[in-house]
Amino acid sequence: MVHALRNLNCEIAGGESVGVLGESGSGKSSLALALMLLLPKNARVVSGSIDYCGRSLAGFSPAELRQMRGAQVALISQEPALALNPVLPSGQQLADVLRAHGKLTRTEVIARCNEMLRQVGFAEPERIMRAYPHELSGGQRQRVAIAQALICRPQLLIADEPLSALDVATQAEILELLQCLKRDLGLAILFITHNAGALSAITDKIMVMRHGQAVAQGTMAKLQASADEYVEGILFPEKSLAQTAHTPRSRPSVAPLLELRALSKRFVQKRLLSRKEFVVQSLDKIDLVLQPGSTVAVLGRSGSGKSTLARCLAGFETPDSGEILLEGNPIATGGKKKHGARPPVQMIFQDAATSLNPRFTARQIVAEPLEIMRWKSEADRTIRAMQLMEEVGLDPDWASRLAVEFSGGQRQRLVLARALAAEPKLLIMDEALSGLDMPLQAQMLRLLMDLQARHGLTYLYISHDLNFISLFAQEVVVMDAGRIVERTTPEKLGQSVHPATRELVEASERLHAPGVEAAV
Amino acid sequence: MIRYFARRAGHGLLMLFGVSILLFLLFQAAPGDFLSEMKMNSQISPETITMLRAQYGLDQPLPVRYWQWLKSSAKGDFGYSFAYNAPASTLLWPRARNTLLLSLPALLISWLIAVPVGVLAAGWRGRWADRIFAGGTSALLALPDVLIALVALLVALKTGVFPVGGMASINVQDQGTWAWLRDLGWHMVLPVAALVVGSLTIILRHVRASVSEVLESSYVRAAEGHGLPRFQLLFGYALPAAANPLISLFGLSVALLLSVSLLIEVVMSWPGIGPMLLEAIMSRDLFLVIGAVMLSTVFLIAGNLVGDVLLYAFDPRIRRQG
Repeated sequence: MVHALRNLNCEIAGGESVGVLGESGSGKSSLALALMLLLPKNARVVSGSIDYCGRSLAGFSPAELRQMRGAQVALISQEPALALNPVLPSGQQLADVLRAHGKLTRTEVIARCNEMLRQVGFAEPERIMRAYPHELSGGQRQRVAIAQALICRPQLLIADEPLSALDVATQAEILELLQCLKRDLGLAILFITHNAGALSAITDKIMVMRHGQAVAQGTMAKLQASADEYVEGILFPEKSLAQTAHTPRSRPSVAPLLELRALSKRFVQKRLLSRKEFVVQSLDKIDLVLQPGSTVAVLGRSGSGKSTLARCLAGFETPDSGEILLEGNPIATGGKKKHGARPPVQMIFQDAATSLNPRFTARQIVAEPLEIMRWKSEADRTIRAMQLMEEVGLDPDWASRLAVEFSGGQRQRLVLARALAAEPKLLIMDEALSGLDMPLQAQMLRLLMDLQARHGLTYLYISHDLNFISLFAQEVVVMDAGRIVERTTPEKLGQSVHPATRELVEASERLHAPGVEAAV
Repeated sequence: MIRYFARRAGHGLLMLFGVSILLFLLFQAAPGDFLSEMKMNSQISPETITMLRAQYGLDQPLPVRYWQWLKSSAKGDFGYSFAYNAPASTLLWPRARNTLLLSLPALLISWLIAVPVGVLAAGWRGRWADRIFAGGTSALLALPDVLIALVALLVALKTGVFPVGGMASINVQDQGTWAWLRDLGWHMVLPVAALVVGSLTIILRHVRASVSEVLESSYVRAAEGHGLPRFQLLFGYALPAAANPLISLFGLSVALLLSVSLLIEVVMSWPGIGPMLLEAIMSRDLFLVIGAVMLSTVFLIAGNLVGDVLLYAFDPRIRRQG
């Protein structure tokens, strides 16, 4: 038995917004579901009560509960993009919520839906009404889910990590929308997140959770003054890093590790019923030089070609034209595919859970690259795997555990250990930290910087968000629509005038508390 | 869209060709033919047999015989039955109609029962009603189809309410169309019931399983959080999202019903394809067997095609693939 929530007291007044902050596993999502009485079947309320407008929810009949859900208290669940039924048009799903809470004529329903969709920022609500979820982008789906939650004009909105799966620019848009709605509709909001930056703009008070308990409550200013180590770690994940950060070492004299010359890649989509071809120019004449031992950050919105660049480097895609030189030797030239693994180039993906075989033990996972390279004997490989686990901060005693038994942060370490097994020179991290919460991101970065110093690794850090960039990278490359639009350093990023860069910087500034940036 | 169905139908046609070639090869590999038994009869001279063999074309090499059969199929005859001395098609069509008379109502009734009951069972999962449901379906699943048919016959015999096998009473055709139809309906009750019992459980369990899975999904929970009524949640949100694998099962259920149907027809002496196929295999009546198997294949392909059409209508993601 696990206690997801313990002895938690919290009050939300009408029109007030409360932020809930905590690391993963601190019981934030359980709180959201408990408030709606939507906890899964294996959960039980041991003690305590939830009162809504002075009445205990336990005393609500199923019909009353149904009336309350959606109409008075609405929920934006974690990953709102998955909250839409894939086989029903989004308009129907929006209208159904409205119809479930009152009798309206057809024209009234359509008018209310259109109005709501306009409010969440859609210029053409009619088109969105007709569209199926798969025809909308992640951000659009999210906005439809928010529209669903708000269409009955609830008094309280419970938003459980509503931003986690979005790129920064969209995150900022959604946040702004919630702020407007709060002001215009007098909406009370319970905003659950692990990202302290997003909270200061929208919440009146903040509750910090750990192990199902509230460890601190108060305004942002009050919490920032707190001396508690956990609160500090969550509010200022960068602070702990600042001590390990080292001054960039530039070694221009050394020959470049990796060189890209006019690398291009395009994707052609053909539709069965039309002759039209949709050409997506993912990479457009990319030139890039990586010095050994350096860290280069590639920034850009989703769809800017960052991932294609990584996939070309790792050998998953063949570039259409241009050259990739590794230590002066071409490893890929336009149109020609070179087969075989590239041990010197290793890649770490965003989602550690899906890049690990759930049936493998930690030892098997880490030793796999060694096995593929037929490195020494079985016993040697096991010893090496244990060493690698230790190096990334995992207990070697856990070597026989299955991948699924590790937590999210530990799994990302496991992936890192596996990448290190191949003794790479270049490590590509494709949004490798985005899935982790802030304190874990900081821990991972400290580990990465440590490993870089020890093994002289070169990092290509791909991200849509600017967290930690200034501490970690020496060079920043901004991509937009398959092109490198700006090359700069993290220090000069804020003064950039290029629109694509500005968008990223501004979105990131809107998301982070002013105090957080100052602390760095 | 038209291309999608044309491609599906094209696949079906190719499959029919493949099945026919396989059948010819299998028959070639099996020892003996329709005339083998005559050789044992001392009153028939070897010359007569050789002559008959030439007459039936059995002395020709396999490719020639296949070509002859294809030509005859193009004319709509589908080969010639040695035992009945008639084109296979004239023998098969009325039989096929009778088989469909059993299978189609059984298919319809099975799905009409399975979908609502399965969805409700999924909605009650974990409660006593669902446990009773699980126990009941497991028990039914374990029953062999022959036993079901035999029990049905026993019921007919003991109660005397239903006719014991067959498709029509004697002289019923003289009493007018209505009497004939009522009599036919009365004869259909038991075989159709046996078929429904034989195929229902599998469909039920699939419906329950796939709806249960969708009920755990984030979007159904989100819809519950928006305060949607329970009935709409189950039938309006969970069922359409769970329909995809079920529609694929629809095509397979046609095959399932056909195979159960062949058995039940034999046991309950229903003049469908089943008894004729059995007889034709016993007497090595080559073209009749091939015709009967090809007909079953056609039903199966038609079932799958209907499934594809339904899938296209139900799932917007498939519509987009075109």
